[in-house]
Amino acid sequence: MGNFSNHQKLLRNALIDPVSVLDYSISEWELLLRLVRRVKLLGHLAIELERRGLSNKIPVRAANQLRSGLIRAKKFQQLARWELDRITWALKGMNIPVVVLKGGAYMLARLPSAEGRFFIDLDIMVPQEQLDQVEACLLKRGWRHREISTYDEHYYRAWSQEIPALIHRERETEVDIHHTIAPVTSRIRLDARLLFDDAITVGSPEYRILCPVDMVLHCSVNLFQNNELADDLRDLLDLHSMLCVFPHEDTQFWEKMISRANQLRLGRPLFYGIWFTRMIFQTPVPEKIENTLNQKPGLFSRWIMNALVPSALLPLHPDYPARFAQFARFLLYLRSHWIRMPFHLLISHLAYKCYLRLRPPSKPMIKK
Amino acid sequence: MRVEQIPAASFFSLLSEEGLRIRLGPFNVRISTNLRHLAEQLHFLYAHYELVEDEITEFHVKIVSKRSIPRPFSASVHFLVDDQEPFPPAPVNQALAILEWGINLAIALRTNHLLLFHSAAVERNGNVLLLPAWPGSGKTTLCTVLAHRGFRLFSDEFGLMDTECDELLPVPRLMSLKNQSIDVIKRYLPEASMGQAIPHTQKGTVAHVRPPQESIEQSAKTAKARWIIFPKWVADSPLRLERLPQSEAFLLLASNSFNYEILGEAAYKAVTRLVKTCHCYKLVYSDFDRVLTALNELTYGG
Repeated sequence: MGNFSNHQKLLRNALIDPVSVLDYSISEWELLLRLVRRVKLLGHLAIELERRGLSNKIPVRAANQLRSGLIRAKKFQQLARWELDRITWALKGMNIPVVVLKGGAYMLARLPSAEGRFFIDLDIMVPQEQLDQVEACLLKRGWRHREISTYDEHYYRAWSQEIPALIHRERETEVDIHHTIAPVTSRIRLDARLLFDDAITVGSPEYRILCPVDMVLHCSVNLFQNNELADDLRDLLDLHSMLCVFPHEDTQFWEKMISRANQLRLGRPLFYGIWFTRMIFQTPVPEKIENTLNQKPGLFSRWIMNALVPSALLPLHPDYPARFAQFARFLLYLRSHWIRMPFHLLISHLAYKCYLRLRPPSKPMIKK
Repeated sequence: MRVEQIPAASFFSLLSEEGLRIRLGPFNVRISTNLRHLAEQLHFLYAHYELVEDEITEFHVKIVSKRSIPRPFSASVHFLVDDQEPFPPAPVNQALAILEWGINLAIALRTNHLLLFHSAAVERNGNVLLLPAWPGSGKTTLCTVLAHRGFRLFSDEFGLMDTECDELLPVPRLMSLKNQSIDVIKRYLPEASMGQAIPHTQKGTVAHVRPPQESIEQSAKTAKARWIIFPKWVADSPLRLERLPQSEAFLLLASNSFNYEILGEAAYKAVTRLVKTCHCYKLVYSDFDRVLTALNELTYGG
């Protein structure tokens, strides 16, 4: 632990202790901006500096870039909020619980990391039994699917935790509709009904989000089960933000957290979530609490993940990408597929992706 | 120090090693490439730009040539901004064209601390003449002429407005002429410094005109807008310069902005102030002499 390279330290210090940027040189600022942009945290850093009254004390060029990122993030938040309003309107009277996930949920929950958070898609979850009904209703009311290949269509419908994205014909916000929180082909088997049962309303009675412990679990699952981890630092920061805030709102948070993870058998992703937020963001998590989880990864897995994950979550140096970090990212990419689907599916899926990449382009390269 | 002060021999190694850092108005850009022919073009066309020293560089762009597995026999050039590739590769001889488009795209996508109009802009006597227009209206061609006939070039592509003080910021970039405009400008402005024509690009044949040296030297000098003219080139048309009602000018200007929706209220208020304080016109023209007479009269008289 603590073996971060210089550019990683530059980014990490700015995120853990924003005041430290006051000591940054011009070239450090330049590098910091590139790194922050890569992990989509321009708006976040802008807010953190604003909260501390430091926006005027940093180089003007840096302030302009951060402000540009923040303005963009706020606009997309507004678009997501409006899309949610329209979805709720479209499904009114159908009596279907709609649970907002990810960025939209953090926004509704007013998490500290949400204010400057940049996200584009609106993610919602509905019960699997009512998925067809919801899709049909939205299609009737102006949403449509983007054109995708038959293969991708099959991939979504048969293997993933969501259906192909919907976009309203007058707008641009993509709506991802989930029915559970992990791909159906993965080794994680959980009863999504439990998530709906404990969902809470927030703001308006129509807006639901997962309860705090489930939000933490979903974020961990998404990071360490569904994603490839490359440049996903923003999601780890969400986790950090939740693990800082929730224990203050509920003194029993940690007991509930551990027992829920054990109940849903999501100990492994939560273990990694706790492990890496502590390592990268120094999150104040009770010592050794992760050892009380039922499904902890073994020592060998921990050792491997410890060696690989920071190199993936933290961005590469834009001018001098380390070979090890690139290799680590490649291994984690393979891992993400390995745990997402059984071996026979994985082989045919990767073979198909490889074919897509290598076949000659079907259209001329430039002229459209 | 300016680009032209770097010897041609060391210019290529600068581009291929640490990268060339130049000031483009309010933005600093670092360009890296492994292409010699692009280096030669840039040494001439970027001659007047000032090098960046001790300042943050916001845009890091690269033009690299690669052979790909699907097409092993023809190298193509890739434009990268911070290692992201926003558009597909192009044939090697189009390197300069995609570098210029790429930088414009990066500016348009990343800049929200300023209001961005898709507009040419020139200045005279401390007042800016904005020429917002849509592709195909001949905005760049007209702007090239004005920039060589007594106006200071702000930009042929971007009207950059600081909505806190209503100042417009110059960003004098190469002016990229398309198709027939290339010969038109060669005939009308024989003194203009123009790069080689690049055929078969996405937008047809393009050629780049170097901004006049004074425009680049004064690119830190901002000014407020005074006239807004929506130009349109129509073959053989007599010159028409007509006043536009504020309401119509507002709609045209708001829909012409790249980031009006992202800026929201700030943009709405800024455009409102612009149409209230500026003289707004619609211009139809075919002949440069007549346009120059009309615009000289307007800008000296008004």
